[in-house]
Amino acid sequence: MKPWKRKSINRETKMKQKVIFIGFILFLFTAVIAFSNTDEPEGLERLDNSVFENPHRPGAVFAHDDHNEIAQIEDCAVCHHVYEDKKLVEDESSEDSPCSECHSLKPTEENSISLSVAYHKQCKDCHFEENKGPVLCGECHIKE
Amino acid sequence: MNAFIDFIMGPMVWVAFLIFILGLIFKMVLIIKDINARESYVYSYLTWKHSLRSIFAWMTPFLPQSTKQSPVFYSISYIFHLLLFIVPIFLMSHIVLINEAFQVSWVALDDGLADILTVIVILALVFFAIRRHMVPEVKYLTSYKDYLLLIIVALPFITGFLAYHQFFFYKAMVIAHVISGEIMLILIPFSRFSHMIVAPLTRAYMGSEFGNVRHAKDW
Amino acid sequence: MANEIETKDEPTIVKEKNTDKAVEAGLARLTPQRIKSTINQVLQKETGPRFKAYVETCMHCGLCAEACLYFLSNDRDPAYSPAGKVKQTIWEMLEKKGEVSTDFLRRAVHIAQTECNVCKRCSMYCPFGIDVAYLMLMVRRICHKLEITPLYIQDTVNSHSATMNQMWVKEDEWIDTLQWQEEDAREEFENLRIPLDKMGADVMYSVIAPEPKFQAGLLYQAATIMHAAGVNWTMPSSPGWDNSNMAMFTGDNEISGRIARAFYETAARLKVKRIVMGECGHAFRSTYDVGNRWIGWAMPPFEVVHALEFYHELLTSGRITIAEKFKKTVTLHDPCNVSRGRGLHDMAREVTNMMCESFIEMTPNREHNFCCGAGGGVINCGPPYKGERMINNKVKAEQLKATGAEVLIAPCHNCHSGLEDIVHHYDLNMEVKFLGDLIYETMEKKIYKPGD
Repeated sequence: MKPWKRKSINRETKMKQKVIFIGFILFLFTAVIAFSNTDEPEGLERLDNSVFENPHRPGAVFAHDDHNEIAQIEDCAVCHHVYEDKKLVEDESSEDSPCSECHSLKPTEENSISLSVAYHKQCKDCHFEENKGPVLCGECHIKE
Repeated sequence: MNAFIDFIMGPMVWVAFLIFILGLIFKMVLIIKDINARESYVYSYLTWKHSLRSIFAWMTPFLPQSTKQSPVFYSISYIFHLLLFIVPIFLMSHIVLINEAFQVSWVALDDGLADILTVIVILALVFFAIRRHMVPEVKYLTSYKDYLLLIIVALPFITGFLAYHQFFFYKAMVIAHVISGEIMLILIPFSRFSHMIVAPLTRAYMGSEFGNVRHAKDW
Repeated sequence: MANEIETKDEPTIVKEKNTDKAVEAGLARLTPQRIKSTINQVLQKETGPRFKAYVETCMHCGLCAEACLYFLSNDRDPAYSPAGKVKQTIWEMLEKKGEVSTDFLRRAVHIAQTECNVCKRCSMYCPFGIDVAYLMLMVRRICHKLEITPLYIQDTVNSHSATMNQMWVKEDEWIDTLQWQEEDAREEFENLRIPLDKMGADVMYSVIAPEPKFQAGLLYQAATIMHAAGVNWTMPSSPGWDNSNMAMFTGDNEISGRIARAFYETAARLKVKRIVMGECGHAFRSTYDVGNRWIGWAMPPFEVVHALEFYHELLTSGRITIAEKFKKTVTLHDPCNVSRGRGLHDMAREVTNMMCESFIEMTPNREHNFCCGAGGGVINCGPPYKGERMINNKVKAEQLKATGAEVLIAPCHNCHSGLEDIVHHYDLNMEVKFLGDLIYETMEKKIYKPGD
């Protein structure tokens, strides 16, 4: 063995070993979790997503009355808004018609907000503003 | 908490991309200025023809002799580098967020496929780490920094994979995903990840020396 | 050769004795201050973005190892891989900001001068095209400035500096040797001349100093080939006739530049149309690629033609005709400086096939050929290093043996000498020949007349 090949255990090697070790543990951990079954929480109230032709995610979890109670929302128009000629119509609400009546699956001339974007923005914008409530994809689209 | 998420998914994304892009541009400018100041002779030899010839030869799978001699490494490396760009750019969740922010979108990968590709990226990184540890000539060159680079690339993919499956700590996982992705982007101009733009330059110069002066192939 | 010492936190440091007097004496003269300032001066002031890119973008992938004769010959010892050599030299110099020990430098000069042929094969195996040879030459430059260059090669540089040739050949000795060869050759060709200082000749023929010193027969052969081909040629009588350049391989760029300048100026003084040079690889590298750059010419100021290309021209134009093809089986070694360095490998095959009946390829070949193990100034470091050179050339020996050829053609002086050593050391029972040897043996001994 050539002398310059010989490595003594030094700080760098120790550090290296530590890094490899931690990396390995992390990987094992994730692998075990990844392949073990996770149970779906029972009785989640979800939004009806049947209007989407090919939904990529399960319908968002949303308990309408609980939400409004906690959020202290009484005016339906806060969410169920009405727009005419791209202007918000005050004092009118649209809780009797489905969102998809105005928001089509793809943005159109009259309405540039597609249905999914409408849902996403409706929830997230407010949650960000209030600094409360779920804002990340999987917080609403909980796995079935 | 939402304010923090808003920050890392809003302004911080801008910051990360700006540092990433401007950093690379700045680095490129510095290199060119440095070349002009100290090594302007390289322009006597650089030609577009031979530069591109060499770069494309080296991007063609199994054309260079070296790739024929180490087919396993190069196959994994080619796939890894391709997926490194393809997976994040064509991931549906990313496109949805971009669509909400900028009203633009493009074709997305099927989620199931993207999931498999993510695992491939992670496995490629595991392969690189094992190779670093097992192959003597690679181990000899390796310091903890080389593992660190692998980990920095691996983290966004691992956390993204875990977040997608919502296995555990969903919220923390997404936050870790966003932050690790931003760290990776920010580090690109300041680390050896900058081979992204420097390697084509060194390749171009070697390709030009070989093609233009030496009249020989360099692959 | 080597003693081990206990080192902490310094994994790559080594203590080895070097039998090379110049290295040892040089190391004894060094002070930490001088080492530091010299290394930093070279690495900061004499490099540029290219150097920076090479050290900062290397991903430590180790793919270059597969390219290196030294790595493969030493049972894949990583210390001999191209990047491994950079790690033991440049990386550590940078990391320690030039504050390295004399033990480190003993190892560094050993690596750069005798464990790398600067053949550039590895830059064809690095996906980024990192030029490890350039980095090794940078180490040599540092060692030159620290005056720890190995004795034998330093002596050739000293000779260059004093005489403008590599072997301390005196001016009268040079002319005398040419006249002697001319006289001998006239027994074969009645009116043969070796024209000295003929103004405006088509060709200035130049050689390396070992030819007049101890291979005068090569001058004889060249003269007969020129004469038979009816070439309007000349050789210079004054310093500048030697195209070799050992300073290029010790990092003594200043002397390297002086040599190249003297050479081109000689050609300019004689107003020749082009320069043809003997079968030497490193001299070709100096006059075609490197020396010109140091004196400010992107490409050489004269058309520089390697013997191999010139023979190809003579044979394909019919100026030389082959009387009877060479019978023995031959194989061809592609010297790095004319194949990887100038792409003459296909011409070499054509020339060989025109002269020889059975030609066997060695593998790998062309640009990918293994270096002879002698080039880049390695053989010129002399006897103290010959034993290890033979070990380092094991793969080359195996490559040669696998051809089973009787004759090995090496159109390069360095390769020729190195391969002879290999053939003897490994008992390969091959005859090493220049292309010129074969042309002389097989050509029709008649004088070319246009229209024949």
